[in-house]
Amino acid sequence: MTTQELLEKIKGKIQIVESKEDLGVLNITVSKSALKNSIASLKDDFGFDHMNFMTAIDLPADSCIEAVYRLYSNTTKDSIVIKVKLDRKEPKTDSVAGIFRTANWHERETAEMFGIEFAGHPDPRRFLLTEDIINPLRKDFTHPDFNPMPKV
Amino acid sequence: MDFKKLLWDLFYDTGKPLSQFYAWAHNLWMQTGLPGFILDVFFQLVIAVVIAVFIALNAIWIIYYERKFAALLQIRKGPNRVGPFGLFQTVADTVKMLLKEDINPDKSDILTFWAAPFIIFAASFGVFLVIPFGNGLIAGDVNIGMLYVLAISGLAVIGILSAGFGSNSKYSLIGGLRSAAQVISYEIPMVLTVLAVVMLAGSLKMSDIVAAQTGNPLKWYFIPQIVGLVLFLIAGNAEINRGPFDLPEAESELVSGFITEYSGMKFAMFFLAEYTNLFLTSALAATLFLGGWQGPFLPPVVWFMLKTYFIVTILMWARWTFPRIRVDHLMAFSWKILLPIALLNLLITAFLIKVI
Amino acid sequence: MNNYSNIPLQASNNGADEYILNMGPQHPSTHGVLRLVLKLEGETVKDIVPDLGYVHRGLEKLFENRAYGQIIPYLDRTDYLSAMNNEWAYVMAVEKLMAIEVPQRAEFMRVIFAELNRIMSHLLWYSAYGMDVGALTPLLYAFREREEIIDMVEAACGGRLTHNYYRIGGFRQDLPKGFFDMLKKFISHFNDKVDEYEALLINNVIFMKRAQGVGVLKKETAINYGVTGPNLRASGADIDLRKQDAYGVYGRLDFKACLRDNGDTWDRCKARMAEMRESLKILKQCMDMIPEGEVMAKVPKIIKPAAGEVYTRVEGPKGEVGVYIVSDGTEKPYRIKLRQPSFSNLSVIKEITIGHKIADLVAIMGSLDVIIPEIDR
Repeated sequence: MTTQELLEKIKGKIQIVESKEDLGVLNITVSKSALKNSIASLKDDFGFDHMNFMTAIDLPADSCIEAVYRLYSNTTKDSIVIKVKLDRKEPKTDSVAGIFRTANWHERETAEMFGIEFAGHPDPRRFLLTEDIINPLRKDFTHPDFNPMPKV
Repeated sequence: MDFKKLLWDLFYDTGKPLSQFYAWAHNLWMQTGLPGFILDVFFQLVIAVVIAVFIALNAIWIIYYERKFAALLQIRKGPNRVGPFGLFQTVADTVKMLLKEDINPDKSDILTFWAAPFIIFAASFGVFLVIPFGNGLIAGDVNIGMLYVLAISGLAVIGILSAGFGSNSKYSLIGGLRSAAQVISYEIPMVLTVLAVVMLAGSLKMSDIVAAQTGNPLKWYFIPQIVGLVLFLIAGNAEINRGPFDLPEAESELVSGFITEYSGMKFAMFFLAEYTNLFLTSALAATLFLGGWQGPFLPPVVWFMLKTYFIVTILMWARWTFPRIRVDHLMAFSWKILLPIALLNLLITAFLIKVI
Repeated sequence: MNNYSNIPLQASNNGADEYILNMGPQHPSTHGVLRLVLKLEGETVKDIVPDLGYVHRGLEKLFENRAYGQIIPYLDRTDYLSAMNNEWAYVMAVEKLMAIEVPQRAEFMRVIFAELNRIMSHLLWYSAYGMDVGALTPLLYAFREREEIIDMVEAACGGRLTHNYYRIGGFRQDLPKGFFDMLKKFISHFNDKVDEYEALLINNVIFMKRAQGVGVLKKETAINYGVTGPNLRASGADIDLRKQDAYGVYGRLDFKACLRDNGDTWDRCKARMAEMRESLKILKQCMDMIPEGEVMAKVPKIIKPAAGEVYTRVEGPKGEVGVYIVSDGTEKPYRIKLRQPSFSNLSVIKEITIGHKIADLVAIMGSLDVIIPEIDR
């Protein structure tokens, strides 16, 4: 299925803020409030049963953090990327761990790496890092032990 | 006295020259007028020292043998650096153990923690009293020999439990409890198989059991008691906590079970006890089922050792081949399979003795 | 009890014989540095909380400060047992971003090394698993054959564990002389060895009793948890990325996904054993089909992909190895996310171990074939 057909198909059920095609994969952006429903709908109505991963991208230029969810359908072999833009100062969104249980750990990792708060997460503890390292994957992260490579 | 005759007696009929020597020494002692029990105590001490030396030397050899045998099964070379063919590897290891720091874990129960290796070692040491190494070569031929073996070897479980309790470690505790359950469950089929042999021999005395099997290999008890031999090996292997029944020290589950917290010489004591127990179980199997020290041409001691090491090899083979059994399967195996078979074996044996 | 402050486990004190057991991070069977905190009742696992992060190296942050070509050696150090599969996922992503066409010979070489790595990884799993369930001899048996593969790989790229062989656009260098003789020799006897392994451990009665019906992972649960690879196929899901995506030249090769039905520990083991045989079939075909020619495409000196984002994935020995690259048009990636199979595979452990014994926990964890540096990154 081409991305255009896929977009037409899901349009009715999901409120899409913005959509584009990136190297043959449909990228849609949804609003923060519609995220949980969109993902649930993609899973239940359109057969996207496998969540590859969930992560985030820090975009200080736009002063936002993008949460990225990538879903795959084992039956139709389609992929789709769902993005949601979060406020960089106070990033907060709904947890989808109830829909895809694999999101549980992915969200925990993303939460501590970017400082995103996932509302309704079943186990919101820190995952990989110690308490003193705050949001390391943000672009403006500084730490006494962390030095960028010198310019050669 | 003819020197050649003495030599022959020493090798083939060791009991005779030994009792002659004892009578001679006793006579000499009595002439001094001192009470006789002092000499007896002295002789007992000598025997104890001889056994201790034997255990140490045997452990050095048996550990080397196990490592070489495992290496053979695993397509590798095994120890080959210390001494000729790596024979002194165990000596080097022992020296290392002696030099290691003796750690007492925080909040450990000092008394039980320290007592455990000694209890375990004493249990296996005590059994040597009634092992017939050769014709008359037996430290104390008590007439309840087999009962004594079962009673004393059962003491080891107290040592394991106290090691598990005293270490103040959950892994040790689980290991100790597993061991207690395991040793008690497997003691029952073991006793029942031994009982069948005792019924055949008509005596609990070790030398009688050996003598009843006669020098003819066809009359050894492994033929009428082949089921018993297999049961004895399985139960005996479980008794001494070796693979595939090494649950009390299951490395991948409980780190090292009840010996997790031990270091230095205390650890070495456990190690020594383990290999001594291996030797003992094999020696008992050889005595009960393979005619003990009896055999043509070679001296009895050589026959005894050959048979014992044959069993040792079988037990080692099992250890290095099988995966570990699970704890509930272990219990089920003992109570649901071994026990009925052992009982049936006992019944059939009793029936046949009556009929024939 | 300060050590458990961040672990939400509480042993109940009202009569039940519950206690907390800390397993790891230094424990013989936690495969590296995983820490599991268990709530036990006797020997039965009541609850389990994995605690990760002991080998976290911040790879994803490091990547943001490296040029594209410098990233490959780091990938060897995630799943170090199948380094080339990780490299492949990454170079494929960059090639996709830059629209580089890889020469045919290189494509076949990639399949050969990916499959060799798969066998290597499964062999190490087999030997480590033997240790987990208390059989000590399989370790040495599997290492004998693994050594042969490592020799082959070493001849090709010089590395024995961290290979650093795949390049963006193909390979650093062509195969060495005599490589196919070594491969042929390996293929000729490896099938018999797999039979030997199966007889020694997997089909052993004691092991079968321990493994069958233990740690059952249902197909739906597995997919929901993102479990991939042999673990998923053992549950009966016909999902093999080599077939689904047909990346590289897998579309031209004849092999089948090794499916099992029950999804228990034993099936996961059987699936891996079967996969080794399938890999051997693929290797055989590659050996016949590989063309002569270049192994490196024309790639610009400075790798500077256009802005955009891409996600590629390959079927690693443990499951879906994915690399997500966000490029902003400079010579350094803006963000790289590694999607590693063990991450999702381990997350299912709570689901399938509760109610089993400690011994089963070890057996189940071994059968999931997780590798911790891959999870922590």
